[in-house]
Amino acid sequence: MREGLLVILSLIAFTSLCDTINQLFLKSAVDSLSFSPPFNTIKIFKFIFQLIIKPRLWIGLVFSLLSLCIWLIVLSKAELNFAFSADSMHYIFIALASRFVLKEKITSLRWLGTGSIIVGILLISLS
Amino acid sequence: MFKKKITLNILLLLIASDILETAIQFFFKKSALAEQGFVVTGLSSSLVFLRAAFSSPFLWAGLLTVVTVFIIWSTVLSRIDLSVAVPIASFSYVLVPLVSIIFLHEKIALLRWLGIFFILAGVVLVSLSSKERITQDK
Repeated sequence: MREGLLVILSLIAFTSLCDTINQLFLKSAVDSLSFSPPFNTIKIFKFIFQLIIKPRLWIGLVFSLLSLCIWLIVLSKAELNFAFSADSMHYIFIALASRFVLKEKITSLRWLGTGSIIVGILLISLS
Repeated sequence: MFKKKITLNILLLLIASDILETAIQFFFKKSALAEQGFVVTGLSSSLVFLRAAFSSPFLWAGLLTVVTVFIIWSTVLSRIDLSVAVPIASFSYVLVPLVSIIFLHEKIALLRWLGIFFILAGVVLVSLSSKERITQDK
């Protein structure tokens, strides 16, 4: 498995990136709708309907399907315990995308958590 | 907006979602093994592989479980904060390796468990920071 490690990590990075892009489209689709309390059944169904007709939602879904396909290829090559742990790198992409694409404020606690995940991925890759 | 304290029902739902998340990964791994010994090298072999994987009942069991987990999460998050839900849900970072050992006969070295611990700690810190955000925003 050693020689294929870089290939597997790249593929996992690619699925994580697809997941992140999906989340960005989903977030953008949800944010473009008004949905605030008080919630009731009619309001929830109206929200779901408005969401389903958003093209952005479907673009996001295409990325999540792509992510699933690559994930299956990863699982055909790597041990599940390694792949699942390494997939936590989507936290890194989400943090970067939140900061630079959505311009959200990332607290130091969150950077610390993201750093710990990076250390963890390095350790499981070494083992 | 602060949400109510965690109840036993919510805790049970979260534990169920941990187990189901682990089941999803097990199902996907099983469907990826549908074509035993087949090695994906390029685009055309990927398509052959994916066709086999998508014909596996395990894949569809996995997707069905994904939908179930999504519904459970929607329910859970309407009751409690993300900063409470995620640390409990990240138990799957331990459960998946355990299932890998027991059912898939994978071996996990001590260094890898250490890595899993760092990832788990990181996920908990990231989710706690969402509470920090809410407190600051108030």
